[in-house]
Amino acid sequence: MARLIRTEKEVEGRYEEVWLVVEEDSLDQWPAGPREIVGRDAVRIDGRERATGQAVYTADLQKPGMLHTAVLRSPYPRARVTSIDLAPALALPGVHAAIGPGDIEQLTADCSFQGEAVAAVCADTLGQARAALRAIACEFEVLEPLLDPDEAVRRGSLLGEARERARGDYERGLAEADVVVEAEFRTQVVLHNSMETHQAVVEWIGEGVEVHISTQYIWGIRDAVAQGLGLPADKVRVVCRYMGGGFGSKNGPDEYTFIAAELARRTNRPVKCALTRREENTAAGNRNATIQRLTVGARSDGTLTALGGEFVNAVGWSGWSSGTEGPMQMLYACPNVKTVTYGAKLNLPPMKAFRAPGFVEGTFGLEALLDELAAKLDLDPLELRRRNHTDEAPEGNEYSGKNLLECYRRAEPHWERRHDVRARSTETVKRGVGMASQIWYGGGGPPSYAWIRVGSDGRATVVTAMQDIGTGTRTAMAQIAAEELGIPLEHVTVTLGDSDHGPYATLSAGSSTTPSVGPAVRAAAADAREQIEEIAEQRGLKGASVAEVVDVLEDAQILGKGARGPNPTGKQVLTFGVQVAEVAVDIETGEVWVERIAAVHDVGRVINPLGASSQIEGGIIQGIGHTLSEERLHDPATGRLLTTTLDAYKLPTIADVPEIVSELIDVPDQHLTNLGSKGLGEPPIIPTAAAIANAIRDATGADVRQLPISREEMLRALREAEARQKEKVGAPAGV
Amino acid sequence: MELRRASSVDDVRDGELLLAGGTELVPLLRSGLVQGQSLVMVGTVVPRAVGPGKIGAGAPLAQLECDPTIPEVLREACRLAASPQLRNMGSLAGNLLQSTRCWYWRLNWPCRLHGGDECFARDGEHREHAIFANDYCASAHPSDVAAALLALDARLRTTTRELPLAELYRVPTEDDRRTTTLEPGEVILEVSFEECEQSVYLKAMERKRWAFPLVGVAAVRRGGATRVALAGVAPVPWLLEDGLDSATPLPRNAYKVDVARALVKRARATIGA
Repeated sequence: MARLIRTEKEVEGRYEEVWLVVEEDSLDQWPAGPREIVGRDAVRIDGRERATGQAVYTADLQKPGMLHTAVLRSPYPRARVTSIDLAPALALPGVHAAIGPGDIEQLTADCSFQGEAVAAVCADTLGQARAALRAIACEFEVLEPLLDPDEAVRRGSLLGEARERARGDYERGLAEADVVVEAEFRTQVVLHNSMETHQAVVEWIGEGVEVHISTQYIWGIRDAVAQGLGLPADKVRVVCRYMGGGFGSKNGPDEYTFIAAELARRTNRPVKCALTRREENTAAGNRNATIQRLTVGARSDGTLTALGGEFVNAVGWSGWSSGTEGPMQMLYACPNVKTVTYGAKLNLPPMKAFRAPGFVEGTFGLEALLDELAAKLDLDPLELRRRNHTDEAPEGNEYSGKNLLECYRRAEPHWERRHDVRARSTETVKRGVGMASQIWYGGGGPPSYAWIRVGSDGRATVVTAMQDIGTGTRTAMAQIAAEELGIPLEHVTVTLGDSDHGPYATLSAGSSTTPSVGPAVRAAAADAREQIEEIAEQRGLKGASVAEVVDVLEDAQILGKGARGPNPTGKQVLTFGVQVAEVAVDIETGEVWVERIAAVHDVGRVINPLGASSQIEGGIIQGIGHTLSEERLHDPATGRLLTTTLDAYKLPTIADVPEIVSELIDVPDQHLTNLGSKGLGEPPIIPTAAAIANAIRDATGADVRQLPISREEMLRALREAEARQKEKVGAPAGV
Repeated sequence: MELRRASSVDDVRDGELLLAGGTELVPLLRSGLVQGQSLVMVGTVVPRAVGPGKIGAGAPLAQLECDPTIPEVLREACRLAASPQLRNMGSLAGNLLQSTRCWYWRLNWPCRLHGGDECFARDGEHREHAIFANDYCASAHPSDVAAALLALDARLRTTTRELPLAELYRVPTEDDRRTTTLEPGEVILEVSFEECEQSVYLKAMERKRWAFPLVGVAAVRRGGATRVALAGVAPVPWLLEDGLDSATPLPRNAYKVDVARALVKRARATIGA
């Protein structure tokens, strides 16, 4: 039965209160452990299409008469367009339309960050559009940009109010501490670098528009486009069948979709607007830089008495101030915690969510700080974490399920390797092992729906208007349906990625697709299965296979529908984990490389272990890039970006990828839905940077405080450690 | 834009841009850093034979990295350059003539190399930039191969002359912003060098593969003498004559001096110098 509830909805650590109609989730969870299909390795059902190029991504789409767009963007972080003339562009061959500031809301003459869109041209070919763009006469008055996050906080240039969160008595906690460690950590701007850049093809058909777009949220695009264009939502069709990466940066329509829509309206043609790699790495979002000024107080046995932090998120011109303080607030039992988080509004390109926004940065700071504490107390870092573990959520709500201690236990054999790893050090290459814990959301939530149809051939089609961001959720849905129906995986097809085909499903962000849509798919399959069982009974075929039961149906179909039930009331649904990194540091050249990472994560029931290990590997590799080589730089004087190409912005290569061992606890969260599954998209990237930094300390004694850990930072930290050592040795003996 | 095939090395017309592997020229054209309307393909007319002590300038790096007659310093410089795909295309001479990776230059800022009156890197982001000869222009020369050949004391034969490799390069000055001495229409044909006893190339980069050198160190021992040349430390491939104490690092690239010092020490130890 449907029920109207007022509930909190969480996405990427941001909560909002919403009204929801939820349907009761009447199915019992399957018993723990691998089933016939669920819990067993499945290769991607669309792997062949993707690998052979048959899968049509937005970037592949060619519609008859389609025009191509080039966008004029501000080359300056802050500038005003003093004059602009589109006429020379319109006069060039192949050009169909040009639009400028004010023609649509997304084009402006007052530019507040580099890459902000000013004008756009569409033409028969991309080459013609680019030539036309160069012909636009545009004058900018360059204004002084605000670039320094601390300065922005001082001036009160903030996105939203400063966020203060406190529990207990922080000052008293510090007073009770035997040891206090303070440190400042900095993290850099990193870029999503999705293989498929942000893009959309928009065509006006009848009274509505059809939008093909590389997106993580077709329903969000549908609503935003409908609102932006003043259309009823059902006149907007949004399609994204295959996706070339998003990592959080493709949750909304952005300027390019509205540019394509306006140009399509003016030309009565389908129009594609696709960002180039340079545009992508300028204006399509980023993980913002942070400054974290952290303090930890502890008793000599390692019990935390106080945790405090001032967090500055260098958000850029817009976006939101992510939960960088989250790990400090949530990970440990510490009774006294006080944090303040500022979102600095700067003349830099806006951040967008990037795979566990805030928690990746905050975990680096917190978990590196904890190891500095462990070093000071001469405690085993794993033991320090165990001593401060909590089974009661420090913020009040109970945990729906938590197996972090089990993660620690499973990490032990990897942690034990540190003695052997250290022993392999040479005079110049020091080796060490470090660990870090992971906490994050990932429970998903309602609403999400799925339909299923079973034909007389015994084959099933799952229909749901979700999108597979590339994580393999399409395969996971097929596994769930096949398991519940009791038919082979090859007999299930999944139709997704089209708002005109099937019911609403959640956005693919916040590690939410599998835990949100999966239970709806199982419910739909169960609905169909029950009908098939009734037919079986009538045919005297009880216990027979689905194919045998339905084989007389001819054109009749069994239709099932299912909905995602509510989240457990009063419980926090979180994911946990731990990673253990083995690194080598060349102490003369500052080179750092990672030799092995073991990851143990707790995300409830695992649907597809093979897909899950891919997610873990992907998260760790992206995390290694974040830790060691990636950084978007801007010129300090002007704020103009310097590293927008892939030769200057250094993603990890396959040669940088270490041995990765992934393990999952695979115990269903008994309170969460009919599956007990949580999401795994984000957890694996969260602890990687801290684990590497802590392994560096284990190897060398040096405290790295800044990402990326460049040679410059590594050599600085080594010099500092050496000076500290000399001081110690030189100090008078005694006390 | 016109593209034609040269019939011989002398078949190069005024204003034509020479195209061999294209791995450097094509991106420069696409970003508008090199202007030109006509390209002439010289890959088939420039020698590409590889023999002991003598290499055709058109030989792709991929061929050099696995040829046992090539000294280790040059093989390793090739192996550590770029990616396999780029090395399959990129030619030896093209590698020697590549432009700096200075981001200001690549983004077409009006810097001194582009005829302007400022080096933006000196006061700006210069962590990958030069630590020698950097007072006028702080760009760093990116060629691993050039450092290896400089350490080998290689000579070049062009369509008009023979010269030591060192004389191919010049540190840009106020009066002359060029970084090479190549004349218009002059084509590098061949690189030659004497045998050596031991040699090595060591490279520091920001990831394990496919990155330009932060510091590359080429060292060659021949008779009693050792020649050490560096990549990525000056606007030109840099022959290390006075050691690293004479380096003039900028505030954010002093680490390069430490890295270079460590690699030079290792390189010397490796070749028994």
